[in-house]
Amino acid sequence: MTRTEIKDKLKEILLMTDADSRLLEGELDESKELIADYGFSSVGMLYTVIGIEEMFGIRFENVGMSDFKTLGDVVDYIEKALR
Amino acid sequence: MFAPSSDIFRKYTDGETFAKIRGYGTVAEMWKHCADEYGGRTAVEDNGSVYSYEQLDRDVAAFRGLLAGEGMIGILVENSYDFVKVFLAAATAGRPAVIMPPQLPAEAVLGITAGFGLKALAVSPALSAKTAPAAERIPGIKIVSSADSGEPVPAADVKPGAPCAVMFTGGTTGKSKAAILSNEAVMQGTVNGCYGYRDVFFQRYLLVLPFSHVFGLIRNLMTSLYTGSALFICRDNKNMFRDIAVFRPTVMVMVPALAEMALTLSRKFGRNMLGPDLKYIICGAAAVPPYLIGEYAKECISLFPGYGLTESANLVSGNPECATKPESVGIPYPGQELKLENGELWIRGKNIMTGYAGGIPSFTEDGWFRTGDLARFDEEGFLYITGRIKEIIVLPNGENVSPAEVEAHFSALDCVQDCELYEDTSDNGTRILVLEVLPRMTELGKIPEAERGAYLTGKINEVNATLPGYQRFSRLIIRDADFPRSPSMKILRHARAL
Repeated sequence: MTRTEIKDKLKEILLMTDADSRLLEGELDESKELIADYGFSSVGMLYTVIGIEEMFGIRFENVGMSDFKTLGDVVDYIEKALR
Repeated sequence: MFAPSSDIFRKYTDGETFAKIRGYGTVAEMWKHCADEYGGRTAVEDNGSVYSYEQLDRDVAAFRGLLAGEGMIGILVENSYDFVKVFLAAATAGRPAVIMPPQLPAEAVLGITAGFGLKALAVSPALSAKTAPAAERIPGIKIVSSADSGEPVPAADVKPGAPCAVMFTGGTTGKSKAAILSNEAVMQGTVNGCYGYRDVFFQRYLLVLPFSHVFGLIRNLMTSLYTGSALFICRDNKNMFRDIAVFRPTVMVMVPALAEMALTLSRKFGRNMLGPDLKYIICGAAAVPPYLIGEYAKECISLFPGYGLTESANLVSGNPECATKPESVGIPYPGQELKLENGELWIRGKNIMTGYAGGIPSFTEDGWFRTGDLARFDEEGFLYITGRIKEIIVLPNGENVSPAEVEAHFSALDCVQDCELYEDTSDNGTRILVLEVLPRMTELGKIPEAERGAYLTGKINEVNATLPGYQRFSRLIIRDADFPRSPSMKILRHARAL
């Protein structure tokens, strides 16, 4: 799966969450921070973790969303887990 | 005044089950019954291990051996089997327990230990560092590891009125207070969780709420044990759906935000994320959108909104099965008296706390607890919460507006996930009502993107036009992101400058 494809799927998940919807228009900006920019709440984080695991068939082992600072960090993790 | 009896709930289950729902004066008395009656059945599943009622009883007796002495103890243990063991040991030893949220910093643990004059702290190995300041600075404090055990000792002779648990309130306004709940109150709350639905005993509960919240401690843990059910402890909510797939719960106790998440994800991934066996969702701790009840009904899952407070040992009222009044918080449970004073709900009874710690005034002279909630009853005795007294907006013309009452009209729209009504000042200095709305994207997403804004505002304006003039908003704000919320997912209402 290409990085762009990962981001497209990730966007589907983020649309279900409480992330700032203005940042979800167009292509996702990997440099944006999950809490400072997207404004994720704890439930938003939970949606995202569970959504990613379901959508990509991967698991967050010994790592939580709080370990990721930017959206790019999340995409990196998914990319590695899919290899 | 309304003094409900348990007979109201008789029709919702079979006679044999109803007859088994009986009261106990103390947790010790209830636990003896559970251990004797349910012996080899599974009581708790946690972290890959399964514990029967017999084993839990042995472990409780052994932990009681570490609790010799008198006075209050603190429990600082995360959601785990050890918490269950420690809480039951303290309750059956007659040691009132201050339940500390595991996320408390060490300084707060010290402050609570000193402030409450605690004689002992039961702490899990993972949280033990948080008790270091208390161990250093409070002479004679006994620190007990929740993983340890002592020589088994029998349960104490505990009186119904004796304090059992001290729970911290976590309201959206004001400082947190500590409510002292007697054994009788905890037991009334526990038994209340058995009313209004068909399948009560021998269920499978999955725990996602913290034990430091009454909804987790009483409606989830205590009612599960009381009914001989198995309780699966989900230690990390991110594993919730994985745990559900393995454990296949029949009952879950949830806040609305989690119920909404489970529904959204189920729709997104085309399968029931809550598992094939789930029958009941007990939903509370925040207003429950009627939308959720309807959507879960389509999945053959009954979602019961209820109403409760820390001060009332959790449950005051709950919707019975086949509820046809989704806007209501249900029928009041027995063992209490309820009345309305100037629209405010007042309660007294077995389930009500003995008072706040620290001498904070708790009751009227004749013993009523003022909930601070505005309420009404309908002709069938169903209770409706229409707002909070502290949140009432008094308009310049003297009209009173209860935000919650107005918000309920908009929250009934499928495309509205949540909303808040408040007062603000317009550009020309006039005081106006503002409605902020968080759209429900799972519903709004069905509309073509270009039409969503117009659709949403159209629906909201239609509702606004049906309201009395003084309740109508003058400014509408559609939010891009969620509201700031409390840990229990309630909207943090802001005092906005006028």
